[in-house]
Amino acid sequence: MTASLLAAAGLARELAAAVDQLRRITVQVRAHGAATGAGILWTGGESEGRGLVITNAHVVRGDRATIELSDGTAARGRLVARDLKRDLAALEFEPTSATPSAAVRDSPPLRVGDLVIAIGHPGGLVGAVALGIIHGAESPREGRTARWIRADVRLAPGFSGGPLADATGRLVGVNTMTHGSLALAVPAAAVEAWVRRSHALVAS
Amino acid sequence: MSTVLQSLSSELADAVQSAGGAVVAIHARRRIPASGVHWRPGVVVATNHTISRDENITVTLPDGTTAPASLAGRDPGTDLAVLKLAGQSFPTASLRPETPPKVGELVIALGRPGPSLTASWGVVSGVDGPWRTWQGAEIDTLLRLDLAIYDGFSGGPLIDGAGRVLGINTSALARGVPVTIPVATVERAVSELLERGSIRRAYLGIGTQPVRVPESLVRKLELKVDVALLIVSVAPGGPADRDGWLLGDVLLELDGAAVSDPTDILAKLGGDRVGRPLAARVIRGGQVKTLQVTPGERPKSRVA
Repeated sequence: MTASLLAAAGLARELAAAVDQLRRITVQVRAHGAATGAGILWTGGESEGRGLVITNAHVVRGDRATIELSDGTAARGRLVARDLKRDLAALEFEPTSATPSAAVRDSPPLRVGDLVIAIGHPGGLVGAVALGIIHGAESPREGRTARWIRADVRLAPGFSGGPLADATGRLVGVNTMTHGSLALAVPAAAVEAWVRRSHALVAS
Repeated sequence: MSTVLQSLSSELADAVQSAGGAVVAIHARRRIPASGVHWRPGVVVATNHTISRDENITVTLPDGTTAPASLAGRDPGTDLAVLKLAGQSFPTASLRPETPPKVGELVIALGRPGPSLTASWGVVSGVDGPWRTWQGAEIDTLLRLDLAIYDGFSGGPLIDGAGRVLGINTSALARGVPVTIPVATVERAVSELLERGSIRRAYLGIGTQPVRVPESLVRKLELKVDVALLIVSVAPGGPADRDGWLLGDVLLELDGAAVSDPTDILAKLGGDRVGRPLAARVIRGGQVKTLQVTPGERPKSRVA
C-alpha cells in the first residue's frame, strides 16, 4: 500500500471512530410518538442522578418529550428551559445508567476551512453523519460571542438540535437551521452560557 | 487521538488562510459585493457579471481596508473582468497552471462577499476538454464540481488542498451552475484585457436554431446532412445583413464545414477572422446558394 492510501485508510478509520463517539452523545427527541429531531447529552447524569439534554426549541413544542439514547433505551424528558429567540431547549431526564456527555471545544478558535461533523436523524435514519467545513467566521463583536457558526455541510430536517463537532469530536455548536446548503449552528459557548443562566433560573 | 483527521482539518484551514490572503471583495454592484483574486501585482481578476458600473469601484482588501480600483477591461464571453489597484502591497495568488485538476480531487471555493472570507468544499466531479460559452469564448477545460457556491462567490478562486488557485468561479456561464474558468484561460484573458480592454471576437449578427431539413429536400438538393441552422434573426446593419443574408435562410455550411449547432458558427469566429470573408452555403427558396460574409467585430455587449 502506498503512503497516501495508508493515510486515507487512517482518515476513514479515525472518522468512523469520531462519529461513533459523537453518536453516543446524540439522542433522538420524540414528541407525541413522532421523531422531531436530535438532541445532545449535555450532562450524563452524574449530578444528582439527572441528565440534561440540549436541543432546539422548535424540536420540543410541548413541555414533555421522549428521549431515546443511542443504546436504544428511552427516558421521559421534562422541559426545564426554553428560549425561542436562541431556539434552544433543555430537557431533564433520569438516566438508567451512566451516560457519556458532550465535551465542548473551548479553544483554539475555529478557522475557516476547519472540518466539522454533524450528527442527526434525517427522515428516520438514526445517527446519520454529514461532513463539512467551517464556511465563515462571523467576526465577534467586542466582548460578545458570534451569533451563529456557519458551516458548509448539507443538513436535512432531522439534524435540528444535534451536535456539530470538530475533527476531534469536541462540540462546537447545536445545528439549528439551514440557509440554502449552509448550516447554521448556535455556538457551543453561547449554549454553555445559556445553560448556566437558565439553570440558575430553574434552581431558584 | 485522531491525528490524521485533525491534520486534514488544519491543512484545509491553512490552505484557506494562505489563498485567502489574495482574495478581495469587489464593490461594483448593488446588494452584496462579489469576490476577486489578486492575480498579478496590482491586477485583480473578477467576474464581468458582478460589475454593473464602470466607475466608483472599490475593493476590500484581506486586511479589511478599502481601496479604489479602476476597470481595465471586461469580457462577457468568459465573464471575466480585470481591475487595477494602485499602491497596494499584499500577496498575489499562487497559481497552479500546469497540472489540471483530477476527478475526485478535493477542492475549496473561496469568496469574500464582505470583509470576511468564506469557504465551501467539494470534489471535482468531472474534467472535460475545451468548451464554448454561449457568447463564443473558448474555455480550455470544463470543470464540473460537486460543491455548493454561495452568494458573492463569483470571482473567487477554486483552490486545491495546498492553497493553489485552479481557476476563477462564476455562476453566470451555465444557468447558475458553478463553473470554474481554468488558470490558462484566465491568463490569456487577463493579458488581452490589460492590452486592449476587451477581447476581440468576430461576429456575423445572426441568430440561428437547428432544424431538420425535410427528406424530400435533402434528396432533391443531394445534401450530405439533414440538420442545418435556420436563421431566426438578423441584426440590422450587422455583417450578415450588409452582405444580403435573409431571415429564413437555412445555413448548411460555413467556411467549408457543415454546421448543425450554433456553436459550430462560433468555432469559425475567432478574433483573427474580423474583416476576412467567409463562404457559406444556404438553402434559400428551395435552392442551394453560395453566399459570402465579412465578419465584423462583436459589439461590446454587457451582461448585467
